[in-house]
Amino acid sequence: MTTNRPTGFRNPWFQFVLNIIGVVVYELLLKAGASATSDPEKGWSGFGITALTSPLTWLAIGVIVIDLIIWLYILRYIPLSIAFPLSRVVDVLVPISCWLILKEAISPLRWGGIALVIVGLVIVAKPAAQLEERL
Amino acid sequence: MTWLPFALISLWLATFVTGQLLFKRAMESSRKTGFRNRRTITILTAGIAVMTISFLLNLGLLQHFDLSYLYPFQGSSIVIIMLLAAILLKERVTPRLIIGTLLIAAGVALVSIS
Repeated sequence: MTTNRPTGFRNPWFQFVLNIIGVVVYELLLKAGASATSDPEKGWSGFGITALTSPLTWLAIGVIVIDLIIWLYILRYIPLSIAFPLSRVVDVLVPISCWLILKEAISPLRWGGIALVIVGLVIVAKPAAQLEERL
Repeated sequence: MTWLPFALISLWLATFVTGQLLFKRAMESSRKTGFRNRRTITILTAGIAVMTISFLLNLGLLQHFDLSYLYPFQGSSIVIIMLLAAILLKERVTPRLIIGTLLIAAGVALVSIS
């Protein structure tokens, strides 16, 4: 293990956790902002741009900018082929959070999907752990 | 008009994947030469520009589709990014990483269609 390994707050894996929390927050804010400004009568006109009229969208943009800086920092230390698949842990966290907090029902098929993602994450975690030893 | 949503989703995916690859390339460059290097700044600026287009496309798609409809496409980006990272960035991709990534992508798709 080299001596220049970032520790504490600068540890890339700690930053990775912060990044995941940021993704969950901005995905929900973006959807809320886009839905609040959606006008089915307008069809495809004003595509995307009209969502910028929502304060929720701008709040999401603020979170995205912070998250982007964190993500760039992570990419300085972790290969994209490992960091990106691992970042999809959000696809497990969002439905489980909805189930625990919002008491939303999860179908057996969705539990199956969550299980697949978890197994995939565990498998990808081994190369990530080997990388940690090299950091 | 069914081709338009498909074309926009494809463009969104392509810009998202390209942006991620540019970000990684910029950060590799920054580790070697620092952030004040012209090459790092150019690649990073290109990455931010491409990601901005991707972001606006994503917003537009979210206005027309449920998040759950768009998620399987995001799932496919996991596999595409892993493959392109191996080919273009010469990252070491082991069979274990490929299997894990495929399972994650399949799980993401299953979560969103259920």
